[in-house]
Amino acid sequence: MGKTLAEKILSEKSGTDCVPGDIVTVPVDFVFSHDGTMPLAIQQMEKELSTRKVFDPKKVAGICDHASPSPSEQVSNVQIFMRKFARENRMPHFFENGDGICHQIVAERFAAPGKIVIGADSHTCTHGALAAFGTGMGSTDVGAIMAYGTTWLRVPESYKFQIDGDLPRFVTSKDVFLHIVREITADGATYMSMEFLGSTVKKMSVESRLVMSNMAIEAGGKVGLCAADEKVRAFLAKYGRAGEYRELAPDKGARYAKELNVDATKLEPLIAAPHRVDNVRPVSELAGMELDQVCIGSCTNGRLEDIKTAAEILKGAKVHPHTRLVVYAASRGVLLEAMKAGYIQTLVEAGAAVCPPGCGFCIGRTVALGDGEKVLSTQNRNFKGRMGNNKAEIYLSSVPVAAVSAICGKVTDPREVMK
Amino acid sequence: MTLTNIRSKVLRIYPPDTNTDEVISGKYKYDELDLKKLAVHAFESIDPTFYADAQKVKKPILVAANNFGCGSSREQAPQVILACDVSCIIAESYARIFYRNGFNIGLPLIECPGIAKNAKQGDELEVDFTKNVVINHTTGKTLPMKPIPAFMQELLEAGGLMPYLKAKHEKK
Repeated sequence: MGKTLAEKILSEKSGTDCVPGDIVTVPVDFVFSHDGTMPLAIQQMEKELSTRKVFDPKKVAGICDHASPSPSEQVSNVQIFMRKFARENRMPHFFENGDGICHQIVAERFAAPGKIVIGADSHTCTHGALAAFGTGMGSTDVGAIMAYGTTWLRVPESYKFQIDGDLPRFVTSKDVFLHIVREITADGATYMSMEFLGSTVKKMSVESRLVMSNMAIEAGGKVGLCAADEKVRAFLAKYGRAGEYRELAPDKGARYAKELNVDATKLEPLIAAPHRVDNVRPVSELAGMELDQVCIGSCTNGRLEDIKTAAEILKGAKVHPHTRLVVYAASRGVLLEAMKAGYIQTLVEAGAAVCPPGCGFCIGRTVALGDGEKVLSTQNRNFKGRMGNNKAEIYLSSVPVAAVSAICGKVTDPREVMK
Repeated sequence: MTLTNIRSKVLRIYPPDTNTDEVISGKYKYDELDLKKLAVHAFESIDPTFYADAQKVKKPILVAANNFGCGSSREQAPQVILACDVSCIIAESYARIFYRNGFNIGLPLIECPGIAKNAKQGDELEVDFTKNVVINHTTGKTLPMKPIPAFMQELLEAGGLMPYLKAKHEKK
């Protein structure tokens, strides 16, 4: 019987010929949590298992990214609690304020095809772009994994997204995903393995694939997998990990519970309007709406190609006087590369507030909005209150739409102004 | 071994896609490790009187439409609900991580299609684990619920994932 990507990885890892619905126990190759979830995971280990000892210090990471650099004494105390645990366990992988967002760090350094990657963060599905079975869990699950090194998984049904054709100019993988979530809704792939296949995905950079995999959870997906190909090998090689590459693709006769075909040539720039990710409109429908703030960054769109696109659009231009532009590179590595290439210089000259790598604006913990403000952000989620204020409106878009809109001070279709 | 039936009053009925930011705002979860203190802010942004009202009903039941608990993986979401002494949630469906988190901490999550339209605040509901039905004693109507998978039942019987794993590893 042909297997989907999810079934292949879980069969191999569990040593069983598993099918959807089976519950399997698998060894975890890498587990991580952050300042929003790790403290509770440690507490659960202590309280319920009477231990603070991790199963393998090299396979466990702690990352200070959600409220970083720490904005308050409470957060600082929580981060002390994490550091103490990491030092006790002699964990070589503890990431500090400014190192970056957990998902970018894990993609650069730890995720690889066929691995099981578990994070105490819903966007752990990001690592599916490297054909890793990456999925988010809560603190108790992660506490149990930190102690024992294994977890149980229900083998998911798989949903195939067959995406073919060339993307038009200024249409990105973000728009592909927004199109998908509009079609299937915010719970359209609940419990399922979303598998992004087809010629469009093959042509995409790994950075672009990471955008779609990152957002799988926004349609309820358990994982968001892409096949591992030469581009994945090149991505791993860039970070000195070519040896971790292996080819991985679904079998020819793989059985998918659901399928959706996407004609990439027909897509246009899209925006998710408040307060739901599946409330998707064409940019043209919202064009002209004034914006108080534009945010570029996050684990969805804070990678080098994103910063590059923003810098190319903003080069020689200025952010509109009634709009603020906030930029966060997703990791220290991304920031360094962007500095070397001159992108940060360009963005600062254009009027952007460039902040140290971290989650920043996305969760409203270190950058918050005011009452009634409208923000256009490249992040993945626009729930009410997400960016620190219940009375703000959050719109989601790709980087090109965000960058052009920052210049114009209102929602703008890049195809209209960038001839 | 089967689970003991749950019988209590409906405290609230929440709409489709109620997310974990709404259950407990992200702005609190980084500051507070004491779940009892965090619980005061449960549902605050969409339902400011939730916590106060939860104190007035003994072991209340929450009802919700589809995709309850979507969004962030924060376990503080089911934890604060448990800390408000909620006996169980009955929803049309759940987001995956929330579902897993609920059973891990010993909070029963019942999947019952049609429940959001067939229950009102204050109704007396009973979850019958032997017949796999939800009975509304106020209206007299009975709805089928999805049986809880055997593995999830084991978790609940053990009191959650950690006690379950501890017992398993001690046996070895």
